[in-house]
Amino acid sequence: MGISPAEDRAAIKAARIPRDFVVAMAILAFCAGTYVVTLGFAEAPSAVAQNVQPATFPRLVLGVIAVFASVLAVTSFRRDSARKRPVKLIAVATGAMMIAFVIAFDTLGFIAAMVLYSLAMPALWGERRWRIVIPFALLFPAAVYVIFVLGLGVHFDPGLLGIN
Amino acid sequence: MDAFLAAGAAFLDPYLLGIVLIGTLGGVVVGAMPGLSSTMATALLLPFTLTMEPIPAIALLSALYCAGTYGGSITAILVNAPGAPPAAATAFDGYPLAQQGRAGLALGMAAVSSVIGGIVSVIVLIIAAPLLARVAYDFGPPEYFALSLFGLSMLATISGESAVKNLIGGAFGVLIATIGMDFTTGVDRFTFGFWELSEGIHFIPVMIGLFAGCEFLIQAGKLDQPQIRAALDAVRLPSWADFKKCLPTIGRSCGIGTFIGLLPAEGGTVAAMIGYNEAKRWAKDKSLFGKGDIRGVAGPEAANNAATGAAMVPTLALGIPGSATTAIILGALLVHGLRPGPHLFTETPTLLYAIFMAMLLANVVFGVFGLLGAKLFARVTLIPIRFLWPSVFVLACIGAYALEQSVLDVWIMVGAGLLGFVLKRYGFAAAPIIMGLILGELVENSLKQSLIIFDHEWLRFLDRPIVVAFLTLTLLSAVWPLVSAWRARRAAEATAG
Repeated sequence: MGISPAEDRAAIKAARIPRDFVVAMAILAFCAGTYVVTLGFAEAPSAVAQNVQPATFPRLVLGVIAVFASVLAVTSFRRDSARKRPVKLIAVATGAMMIAFVIAFDTLGFIAAMVLYSLAMPALWGERRWRIVIPFALLFPAAVYVIFVLGLGVHFDPGLLGIN
Repeated sequence: MDAFLAAGAAFLDPYLLGIVLIGTLGGVVVGAMPGLSSTMATALLLPFTLTMEPIPAIALLSALYCAGTYGGSITAILVNAPGAPPAAATAFDGYPLAQQGRAGLALGMAAVSSVIGGIVSVIVLIIAAPLLARVAYDFGPPEYFALSLFGLSMLATISGESAVKNLIGGAFGVLIATIGMDFTTGVDRFTFGFWELSEGIHFIPVMIGLFAGCEFLIQAGKLDQPQIRAALDAVRLPSWADFKKCLPTIGRSCGIGTFIGLLPAEGGTVAAMIGYNEAKRWAKDKSLFGKGDIRGVAGPEAANNAATGAAMVPTLALGIPGSATTAIILGALLVHGLRPGPHLFTETPTLLYAIFMAMLLANVVFGVFGLLGAKLFARVTLIPIRFLWPSVFVLACIGAYALEQSVLDVWIMVGAGLLGFVLKRYGFAAAPIIMGLILGELVENSLKQSLIIFDHEWLRFLDRPIVVAFLTLTLLSAVWPLVSAWRARRAAEATAG
């Protein structure tokens, strides 16, 4: 007698490692790695440390995290978290834009970075009404400049383009 | 009495009144925008309050907090997308009411029950906070250590995917708080040779990143989801019959919200869910719940607003945040050089009375705004998200930068946003991490001081009754969700069997 597709699916599901188990293992690995880092902390003279060395508390916290991660690993076989849809490409591109904006902020200067970003970001998100995008890219940075630089006295470095 | 009069006199200043009105208006608008919560708004605004005097700064954030909690109901009712998590339960019956062409009734009841809940909670705040502070006045480091542990353990019971994950998040926040120089010994920890990290990671960029940066990425994944907005009839006050029908629900929810808000770490979201469930449980006719029962709007709205003032009680009296937003207000007090706790009541009573008055005023004002301007506020949902969210991200960058005028803080904010997004996908919420980060220093310092007092004999913690009481509560609150999940599973298995 052959195995039905439903039984086949159930068998695959049962054999699959729970998602939370993998998460718990990753946390335990993080704890182990961070514990190794604490081994590099300088020792303070006991008169200064008063028997609580700089590494003591972080190690205690790592121990607590490891205990909770172990609980998560054990319970994951009974109750696993729901699988999520894969991250959309647009979210990855948005994350890349976040990083690109900070790089531009640091190099080109805040105002120039903001103008470029205000043009690129709506376009990346599918906005093609340039009659709105272009005024937005000019007016939004201008409004930010008036409120934060002139109004609240926030100082931004001029950057490579020297716009401040 | 002098402090009360001084605070009252401060409110005669048009500047302070204007600040509270702006905070309230801003709170309603921000609360009404899906994805933008009062928590995120207070996090974004906090760096810009640093140039202000403490009273207007904290009054602004408090007003924003109160109004933002209400504002979330507008989009919950009109577009079935809660503007803020505490309004999630409001959508269950608010949106069906709007679909039936009774959006005005739902919005009106949301405003009225929110005002009642909010005012009740501020009264509780005014009465309970000084009493609690008086009790806490004799607390020493061991009591504070046990109390902060209790606050962290309560993370297990806040809403989220899993109690264990909330606890891991809280502990992770405490671990982040250890980055930088150990103040007792002067030894650098987790700085990896970067001198900039010696002062530690400031919670403001992390907070902004975890809330705003993370949400920006989440919204990127929702670009293809159309929003359908229900038509809005004229907003009218609920009739006496509607009000009479909801009065017991509102009363019950005020009690629920106040109690939940008083507990460390619990906030409006949990209160609203319980408020909704209790409204349904006590109703004789449950058939309309989920299909447009007005009590399904009044219950959660009264509860989540009742939690706002109550959540300020442990925040101000003990320095233990009552919710995610009050954690940020606690941070604001710290950056303004004020140490929340019993001493706040003796050293700066004028500030406290000003906070109470600001919250009271905000509750009245958002009620007026809500009844008169809900139709207008509902229009914020028309702002295209392709422009809104990129602008929010820029504001997040400025907020992170403005604190120390350092690009490193912007990197930390972006890093926290990306990390928050990944963690959220695996079921870890932002609020526990923030709570841990803010409480981390208190936990470590009070533990170290306690160990010195006790000459490193851990068992001497058990000599102090208050410590024993808090440690027992800690154990209960950490273990209870696990026991309750186990019992639910057993019950489900028994039913299936």
